[in-house]
Amino acid sequence: MRLVAIGFMALLITACGSKKPDEKAFLESLDSAKTGPTIDEEVISSILQQIPSPLEISVLLKESGTKYNPAILNTSENLSKYNSNYKKALNLGVYGTDLGYTNIYEQNQDGLKYLTSIKSLADGLNIGQFFDIETIGRLATNSKNLDSLLLITTQNFNSINHYLQTQSRANLSVLLLIGGWVEAMQITCQVAAKDPKNKELQEKIGEQKIILEQIVLLLSFYKDDANMASLLKDMEELKGAFDKINITYTYKESTMEIVDGVAVIKDNSTTTINITDQDVEAIRNLTNSIRNKIIS
Amino acid sequence: MKKVLSILTFISLISVGSIDLNGQCNPDNFANACIPKLASGFNFLKSYKVDGEGGAKDKVEYSYVFTKGTQYMINLCANGAATDGIVVTLFDSGRNKVATSKINGQFISAIAYPCNATGIYYIQYTFDGSAGKCGGSALGFKR
Repeated sequence: MRLVAIGFMALLITACGSKKPDEKAFLESLDSAKTGPTIDEEVISSILQQIPSPLEISVLLKESGTKYNPAILNTSENLSKYNSNYKKALNLGVYGTDLGYTNIYEQNQDGLKYLTSIKSLADGLNIGQFFDIETIGRLATNSKNLDSLLLITTQNFNSINHYLQTQSRANLSVLLLIGGWVEAMQITCQVAAKDPKNKELQEKIGEQKIILEQIVLLLSFYKDDANMASLLKDMEELKGAFDKINITYTYKESTMEIVDGVAVIKDNSTTTINITDQDVEAIRNLTNSIRNKIIS
Repeated sequence: MKKVLSILTFISLISVGSIDLNGQCNPDNFANACIPKLASGFNFLKSYKVDGEGGAKDKVEYSYVFTKGTQYMINLCANGAATDGIVVTLFDSGRNKVATSKINGQFISAIAYPCNATGIYYIQYTFDGSAGKCGGSALGFKR
């Protein structure tokens, strides 16, 4: 019987050990900047989770042969400029994208600088407990750990977003996501400017119209907040440039086959994206302007 | 002694599994278990909880923007080796069916979807004869 009791104790300890970080500290940190939207937070969460990871862009750039260029990233030395929760959340997203970019290109020394800045911003927002800097730092020292590094970084950001949403702090999650998206857009636009004949990159920029529409929708829920309203205005201007782009979707039933226990789909639907060099230039200029406001 | 060890083993299995002592679904465990099961070369993007709340829900749905030129994988994890009747179906923004993990009556545990059309897609989980109505799923991508 004693053994059963010991067993229960062990299980309890294990269960407690796997609990999420100090929720009390976070709850106590909630400040007056908490601004609740007038819409169901479930709706906001469902829109937030649609937004693709900036990592997808970095993988595309690397696999299309684009060389690593740290000059297009936000320097980690800008960290001291970010004092408000608004700026911290936005630039946590920016640095998250930059970290993903350095990880994909296996530039571990640069990645470690972003890691430090990310940890500092996350701590400032009282969500640092979700960022496992020790493990990430260790993984970053060996390029053989790339898959694990990408996995744990993505999981950490997912945990942060999930936690913010469950704590009615989705406004910070929205900012984190927008910061990450703007940085990914900026990277793509800078690369496209140097490779103006790359139609795939132009299309990649054009298809961001779908994501920007969701971002504008998200920000509209928070327009009572002055910072969010200002960001919304900038994003609406950017949306104006995207409105000139036509995306045509044609649905055609897909076919499927089972290969090695996996249902492999053949997608017969298509999208065509009509975007001109002028559209790309206008989008690049506006993106650059918004990004400069965010990182300054 | 043997009996005590058996009880401890049973309790341990329950605790690390995904249905607790009260029969409550713990889909986080299934979702986490699904991440390393993504096929080689796929980068992890999201994990999804699939909780039918004991039958109260007949479907669980998420959405994600899939982009042209990227291949996605969605897998399923539930009690036991099979999918326990959980089916994942992918719909495009116009609610046209794009893919499903139930093919010719067979429950498949993963879908590979090379996307040819950028847009918002709905990832819908349903329960087809599912005993636990509890599972998890992971989404990954590769170029």
